[in-house]
This record gives sequence, C-alpha cells and structure tokens, in this order.
Amino acid sequence: MRKEKILRLAKGFRGRAKNCFRIAINRVEKALQYQYRDRKAKKREARKLWIQQINAATRQHGVIYSQFMHTLAKDNIKLDRKTLSDLAINEPHSFKALVDRVKFMRGPNGIE
Amino acid sequence: MKGATMRARPCATPAVGTQRSPSIRPGAPALRSQRSGATGSHVCRASAAAGEVKWVGNRRKLDLNRNYYPKQEDTDTQKKVWYVIDAEGKTLGRLATLASNYLRGKHLPTFTPSMDTGGYVVVVNADKVAVTGRKENDKMYYYHRVHRPGTMKTETLSELRQRVPERIVERAVKGMLPKGRLGNTLFTHLKVYAGSEHPHEAQTPVDITSLIDRKPKDADLAAVRAAVGLE
Repeated sequence: MRKEKILRLAKGFRGRAKNCFRIAINRVEKALQYQYRDRKAKKREARKLWIQQINAATRQHGVIYSQFMHTLAKDNIKLDRKTLSDLAINEPHSFKALVDRVKFMRGPNGIE
Repeated sequence: MKGATMRARPCATPAVGTQRSPSIRPGAPALRSQRSGATGSHVCRASAAAGEVKWVGNRRKLDLNRNYYPKQEDTDTQKKVWYVIDAEGKTLGRLATLASNYLRGKHLPTFTPSMDTGGYVVVVNADKVAVTGRKENDKMYYYHRVHRPGTMKTETLSELRQRVPERIVERAVKGMLPKGRLGNTLFTHLKVYAGSEHPHEAQTPVDITSLIDRKPKDADLAAVRAAVGLE
C-alpha cells in the first residue's frame, strides 16, 4: 500500500528510482523536501520575474524601474507588481498611460 | 508580495483609456478585451496566453493568478528580430552588455528566463572594438588545447586581435550570457564579423549601436521603440 503510494510519486524519475521502492523512497523524500522549499521560493521567483518584466517595459518609454515604482508609491497607485507586469504584456497602452502619469508627476523637465 | 488593497481591474478603469491595444510582441495576435456587462463580471482578456476563464458553478471566475508564459511559437526563429551593432571604437564590455541583453530578450516585457524569446545580434567591425586603460596589452586570454597541467597558453588582447579578432567580442558576450543549454543556444544567435560587411542583409537588422551605454532617459526613444518593433 505504502509502496504503491511512494512509487506513484516517483513517476518520471531517472533509472531505478522510478521502479524500485528502496531507491525510490530516497528520491521521493528529497523531492517532497524540494517541493516544500520551492513552494516558498516560487513566490520569490515570480516577483523577481515581474520586476524584470516591468523594468523592460518602462525602459521602452524612457523610465527606469526604481523611479517608476517610487513615483507610483508616492502617487498612491497601489498596483502590485503582478498586475503591472500583466498590464505591460497584455495591455501595453494602459501601461503607457501609467508611465505617462509617472513622467508627469516627476515634472515637465524630464525624467531624473 | 504586495497585495493590492483594491485589485485593479483593467477593464473597470475608465481613466486608463481604451483596452483595444495591439500586442507589442512581434508575431503575436492582436489581443482584445471584452466586457460582459450583462452578468456583471468581466472577461478582461480573450487571449489564451493571458489567462483562462474558469467556470465555478454558474459564475465565471476570472483567474488573475495566471501570468504570461510564452508559447512554443514565441520562440520561433522565423519571428525573431535581428539587430546589428557597429563595434568600431565602442568599448568592449558595454557593447557586450547590450548584445547579451538583446540576445536574451531582456529588453522585452515578455522576458522569460527559461525560454529563448530574444533576437539575433550581428556585430560588425569587431576587429576595431576598443578597450580602455592598458587592457590592449595587458588583458590576457587563457586557453588549453590539451587540458593537462603546463599546457596552458596565454595571449594578450592585441595578439588575439591579430589572430582571431572575432573571438574578443564573442568571449565577452559569452561571459554575459547564462551558462547552460539555453545559454549555448543564445550564443549561436550572435554573429560576429571582423569587417564592416555581414551576410545578413536579407534579415534587415535593426541598428542598435546608439543604445550602447545609454541611460533610458537619454536614449533616443524612437530608436528604442524601433528596436523592439513598435511603431
């Protein structure tokens, strides 16, 4: 029963680890540890990616990420990075409107 | 991760303007936003790439937890944009940074580290690339023909420039690309030529030489947008 359960979790593993219980149990335990660790890491990785995507999008309009986020915060625009990267990819004109707002707030002299 | 106190729904913000925005990803279909006012709920994205609509009982549930992930066709070599950089007189590292960013696709908001969404980069006049300080005679390149102790060969940048000038730029860019299978593939998208001619005229590469070492506020926005493929 237990062996069946473990071997089911070992699908796709390399070599004997997918078929032989005594080898599989070690790899499965490791895999579960990695899953636990990476559920927490996934949130960090996602945020990292959003920031890189927002940075690329704002630089297309002549603003850099740090200034963009700072000005948004000061302007009390509480959009989170997930939404911002989503806008930058799927709604580029809306994102441009945000960047224009940032440029306006930073002053008509241009971007500092 | 900061959660928005008021979740911004793109369709519901009239101030942001029309949602009929063409996609900026080259080759991707135009995206549409739809509003279904009758049910009171919104379907803000019609593209499968953006997020699927889940049916929960009778109610439509907008799945805001799905982020963009490129599809196989977004890595299609036929759709990749070609760029050209004229290396004459340009500083080696700064040129290499620009090349590696465009190879990786970091200039695009659809950047994904696990997939190849970047473009091709052609570097011409690579033999005339410049270095500052005393690097011309002091920068050493090491290599082994046979990986045994005592068989390491060294040469300076000036010597390498005599021998195989393309390798200077290639080495610099390769060091800035990720290491691994994907990085190796990206490196094959870099084409370096010692002279001022290159055989890729048919791909009409976009000139991005002016973007070397340019801060976003100083960069010519028209050139940036042309490089990405925007109007």
